[in-house]
Amino acid sequence: MTKEKTIQITIDNKTIDARPNQTILQAAREYQIYIPSLCAMEHLSSYGACRLCVVEVDGLRGFPTSCTTPVEEGMVIRTDTAEVKGLRQEVLKLLLSEHPASCLFCTEQDECKQYMGTIRKVGATTGCRYCPNDHRCELQQIAENIGLTETSYPVYYRNFPVEKYDPFYDRDYNLCILCGRCVRVCNNVRLNGTLSFKQRGRVTTIGPAFDRSHIDAGCEFCGACVTACPTGALSVKVSKWYGRPEGQVATTCNYCSAGCRLILQTTKTDVIDALPDYDSAVEHGIICVKGRFGITEYVHSPLRYGTPKEMTPAGYNDISWEEAIAKAAGKLSGLKPDDCLIVVSPQLLTEDLFVAQQFIRQVTGSEEVASSFIFDLDGDAASFINLALASEPFETIEKAQGILAVGFDSTYGYSPIGVKAKQAAQAGASLMSLNSFESNLDLLSKIAFVVNSSRWADVLDLTMSRMSKGKAEKRFADLVEMWGSDLNKTCETFSCSSHNVLIVGPGIIDSPDRGKILRSIERMKNEYSWKVVVAHQYTNLAGMFAMGACPGIKPGEMIKEASADKAVVLKAELIHIDLRKKRKLIYLIGDASFDSLPECEFLIYQNALPPQCSRQPDLILPVSLFTEASGTVISAEGRVLQVKEAVAPYMDSKPDWWILKSIAEKMGKGKMKFNDVSSIQGEIKKIIKGFPAVKKRIEFKEIEVKGNVKTHGKGKPAAWKSSYRGIPLGEVVSGIKVIELKGG
Amino acid sequence: MYRDAILKKFDPRLDNILFILHELQDNNPQHYLANADIEKCADYLNIPYSYVHGVVTFYSMFSLKPRGRYIIRLCDSPPCHLMGSESLLDYLKKKLKVDVGKTTADGVFTLEITSCLGICGVAPALMMNEEMIGNLTPERVDTVLEERRQTS
Ligand code: SF4
Ligand code: SF4
Ligand code: FES
Repeated sequence: MTKEKTIQITIDNKTIDARPNQTILQAAREYQIYIPSLCAMEHLSSYGACRLCVVEVDGLRGFPTSCTTPVEEGMVIRTDTAEVKGLRQEVLKLLLSEHPASCLFCTEQDECKQYMGTIRKVGATTGCRYCPNDHRCELQQIAENIGLTETSYPVYYRNFPVEKYDPFYDRDYNLCILCGRCVRVCNNVRLNGTLSFKQRGRVTTIGPAFDRSHIDAGCEFCGACVTACPTGALSVKVSKWYGRPEGQVATTCNYCSAGCRLILQTTKTDVIDALPDYDSAVEHGIICVKGRFGITEYVHSPLRYGTPKEMTPAGYNDISWEEAIAKAAGKLSGLKPDDCLIVVSPQLLTEDLFVAQQFIRQVTGSEEVASSFIFDLDGDAASFINLALASEPFETIEKAQGILAVGFDSTYGYSPIGVKAKQAAQAGASLMSLNSFESNLDLLSKIAFVVNSSRWADVLDLTMSRMSKGKAEKRFADLVEMWGSDLNKTCETFSCSSHNVLIVGPGIIDSPDRGKILRSIERMKNEYSWKVVVAHQYTNLAGMFAMGACPGIKPGEMIKEASADKAVVLKAELIHIDLRKKRKLIYLIGDASFDSLPECEFLIYQNALPPQCSRQPDLILPVSLFTEASGTVISAEGRVLQVKEAVAPYMDSKPDWWILKSIAEKMGKGKMKFNDVSSIQGEIKKIIKGFPAVKKRIEFKEIEVKGNVKTHGKGKPAAWKSSYRGIPLGEVVSGIKVIELKGG
Repeated sequence: MYRDAILKKFDPRLDNILFILHELQDNNPQHYLANADIEKCADYLNIPYSYVHGVVTFYSMFSLKPRGRYIIRLCDSPPCHLMGSESLLDYLKKKLKVDVGKTTADGVFTLEITSCLGICGVAPALMMNEEMIGNLTPERVDTVLEERRQTS
């Protein structure tokens, strides 16, 4: 590594090393020298709007803003002279002249605090709780740091109605100080463009075009604006009145395979908010609505199971864990492997998956480690898995010259991939999107194909044919007529480029023609060297295959050590799960794919929320969710990511692995002597060196299926629309229902 | 459509945004920027609607409300003021039966106020669409209005 050139500057008599291209503010921050700032935000370019960060610089006229002034060799900077301080106070006063100020300057504040939050319905002092951000407000903090204790200007109250009509967050622009952070984050970080300044001067406000609601204006509800706002103007509906969180825990989102980092905000018992981490190497803080706003309501749903339950003729009875384990063990004993069907969700943690496959193999003696993704993908499971497990890392998109997104839309999910594609397109890459509805990539696309998924394979084939200047086939005629000339141009860039990326979205899983589409994708990958990035909802699919939680695959067998490793051969019968055959017992572990299941005499349901179906489970085993459990997931990129317990398990719920090993113990079968997650991880270490602290991405061998896979023959399984553990998020999270209704 | 023809005259570059918007407004039969105008412009420049809407609301020369065929901009700056623009304004309001910023019921005139038009020598003055008219008196205003009403 070449050592970077440094520049010496002096701030408040302290000499520090800065880097060229840094601003004074950035250099100061690195050395923990405090300069107040409001509009400046890491990850955003300099803006210079709030004027709070003024400093004195020898040789420069006036008071330059430190967030816009680049450092220069030998610069002498003062941040705390009386003049600078006075100026800052003045600036802040002006900023506050449109911000209700009792939260900042009220003289009764301390006394008042004691009486706040009363639940009495009498005329008691309850304090002025008009702002949900009280005591976790950046503006309050700055006023304190600047030492402003009163203001000499009257406060102009703008009297806007609070905007509550959009899902997830409310907007009270009476509290807005027009710092512009939300606008910039929406436009420059999320590349979305919902927000803009409107009007000018005294009447300036912030919002979408034509005063539309956010949902109508194409907002993705990523919440980046809410996180960026230094005031209480933007506040999360679910968590706004919780007050200051008591702790925070960094964990990994379990809602899809991207593996975004979330900083969960917690109280003693509750997860009240989930914030992005702009320093995360995976998604760089570009999380989607599911992770940002979909967690609190799910994990604290009033429908959650808190105790084991048993079906009786009079309805459900709460029972103890002892009884529940005994009951499950009793029902499972003496069954032939064929008599029971155990379904494991790909959204479990790696550790749970490891224990689940051991359970199925050692306790029931079956090899049928069934999973909903096998039902969803039917005969195409193997080709999809090969594609998904070989998915390139997201940063492959950054340098792409050509990008084709098929069945992909990142409005309400897969943001890290979608935003990367948009960035690349803005930097000049040719982007082409192919979907059955208008996608959020269309604006930046050279061509946006909106066609039924039955034609996707044709579009892919046509692209390949154009890339190699092949003759136009008849079946392309209508496509050529619609898009011919644009297509020629775009394919020209594709064929000139050595770095083309194909983004495969979850849309192909739902398509009845996914077999054809997958074959075309394989051709693009193998014959035209497209790099493939796959986005899908099966959070821990990679973990599932690493742990061998799949029929016919042993733990560790799929992990590639050398590049010459051969494919794993799988007999077609194995991945054919007969969904018509009646079973004595069905045991669902974190899954709720009832529509595809055969009839059964006894149904064990191990999950957190009730299923949406008519068949009532006979035994309910309540599990703790990922906010209450520790372990890992292996993301689409093959990264081993940590999941950390943020709050204690809900009521009497238990982790999946604990339930499984307890049943096995009760039955006296298997070798699952696990006391905690780290003992399971010790076992996994034998398969993956250094687990769980694995730096390297895990690479997988291919699967080669021998023979023809029969379809399961129980109709088409319901599409898996953003669900967690088999429960559609829209059923539990009110806002997700709203946005999905709009999308549908 | 006429809007596409307008757009074609400009390169799809962000620095053309004001020219495009002006042309769209001038060619709109109601002299304003309809949602469709803003959306067209945004789509053409590949930028969000909110951005264009922000630009439009920033400048007072753009209107989001339909306006009359003729936009009367009466100068309100000191020279015209001294020469009696205030009473002329009252006269215009009464005559057209509208307030400042409003359009007459027949949709012919919109009354607006402007700052200095740079023709202080002939104060008081107004601008009628692109045309400057100075040395105003109530009688002159009457003739001018009558002429326009006739041609519309
Ligand atoms: S939630 Fe995201 S997309 Fe919506 S306005 Fe805020 S930053 Fe923009
Ligand atoms: S809403 Fe918040 S982030 Fe946006 S401009 Fe106002 S104060 Fe700043
Ligand atoms: S932080 Fe520098 S002007 Fe706002």
